[in-house]
Amino acid sequence: MSNVIETRNLRYRAGRNFEIRELSLNVPAGSIYGFLGPNGSGKTTTIALLMGQLRASQGSITVLGQSMPQAAPRILARTGFVPERPHLYPTLTVEEVLRYHASFYQSWDWRRADELFGRFELDRSLKLSALSKGETGKLMMLLALAQNPDLLVLDEPTDGLDPVVRRAMIIAVLDYVSQRDAAVFISSHLVHELERICDWVGVMDNGKLVAEMPMQTFKSGIKRLRVTGAPALVEDPPFVLLSRDTGETLGAGEVWVVRGWQTPMQQYFEGIGASLREVVDLDLEEGFVELLRTFRAPRAQA
Amino acid sequence: MFKAILYTQWKWSRAVVMLSVVIAFTLPIMSVQRAGITEPSRWETQELLHAIEMWSVWYTLLAAGLGLLVATTAWAQDHRGRHVYALSLPIPRWHYAMLRFAAGSLLLAAPVVALWIGALLATATAQIPPGLNAYPNALALRFALAAFVAYSVFFAISAGTTRTAGYVLAVVGALVVTQVMMEASGMGGGLVEVLFDRVITWPGPLEIFTGRWMLIDV
Repeated sequence: MSNVIETRNLRYRAGRNFEIRELSLNVPAGSIYGFLGPNGSGKTTTIALLMGQLRASQGSITVLGQSMPQAAPRILARTGFVPERPHLYPTLTVEEVLRYHASFYQSWDWRRADELFGRFELDRSLKLSALSKGETGKLMMLLALAQNPDLLVLDEPTDGLDPVVRRAMIIAVLDYVSQRDAAVFISSHLVHELERICDWVGVMDNGKLVAEMPMQTFKSGIKRLRVTGAPALVEDPPFVLLSRDTGETLGAGEVWVVRGWQTPMQQYFEGIGASLREVVDLDLEEGFVELLRTFRAPRAQA
Repeated sequence: MFKAILYTQWKWSRAVVMLSVVIAFTLPIMSVQRAGITEPSRWETQELLHAIEMWSVWYTLLAAGLGLLVATTAWAQDHRGRHVYALSLPIPRWHYAMLRFAAGSLLLAAPVVALWIGALLATATAQIPPGLNAYPNALALRFALAAFVAYSVFFAISAGTTRTAGYVLAVVGALVVTQVMMEASGMGGGLVEVLFDRVITWPGPLEIFTGRWMLIDV
């Protein structure tokens, strides 16, 4: 099995104004797949489809080699899920939730649960309604990890949490993955966070998958170039010109953001009578922003 | 798994169940005491039966209220969380619904047993006049069936979405409007009455509520 999650031509309409369209995802086995996108881009809806909570009007979903939603119970038994919003029963205590949750999973690992309890410093006697946002997040992560899943699906698990809690949760996930070789599908709009942990990235915007590639390719392929003497109209560049800022100041040159850059492409500038002064690596966030900008205005070339 | 679900349901509906236990235990005892059977010199059969019958409405109300509250508390927490938790658990939806249903049904047993014990005690301590008989077992069985029917109906309704509840209300509203229009246009016809009769008389599903709820009868 090469992919733990595969969707093909998925379509789902949510209301009049939003639709998931032709979504084909591929999450490789053993990967940590960052699912990026601005708010309202369809990340949570996609995850609800993957978890069998919504039914697609078209297309197919395969998770852990089985069809969703037909094999939902078998898939969910091997999947740890942390949804975007707290979903547990607020009237139960932490201990009660733990026992309730454990009763549904044959693979439940009490030793791991106890270890995570200590690490997350949770109070077993507290009601969920009395927990802080961070504590609730840690409890949901604990439940997902103590199931011993082959796949973790995390929907904005650290959104709104302080850096200390975020770090504790990310470390717990990485520890688990290193021990179990599980795959992680994690959605977020906190790009910096994903940049550090993911080896694959998919980008959603307005219900469509804009890009899907290894993180290294994504990061290394997008560059900011400083160019001088370029003509107003450039034709057939060997890279994708995402944006071009022509606001030249004191001869510093124009700023181009390009995708698919490789070093030999420097020769292209000589051919058009321009000069390449500088090539700057973009971090994931800058690349993400530029990618979305391209997607929304595909012909950015001047 | 069932034990865990039963525990959650007990936690959510224990106040209702415990209160029902107290009322169910007390009702038969009070009905006999208020009827004055403990003092045989003062009774007359007709008045006695009438006095006992006066209490029957409380049994039906208790059974319906118990069924309603246990059914709605069974789903309240899932509704609050938009069923995300329930749907993320590794069991089929029908299985989950059946477990919740079974847990609620089991909780109904406590008030039923309380009523049965109360009815046995009430009849044991009363001096029943010749020609009359006590029916504690039948009363408890009738109460159990009524509570179960009410629980089943409300469980099915509350298991659905708000939209489903809206459909149910819309159908009821449409029936009432049709009835009013038929009467206003002089077409006569008691559509609602006919349907109501079909539901509450044998073999209607709610017939259990309209029969004789008599602890002591001929």
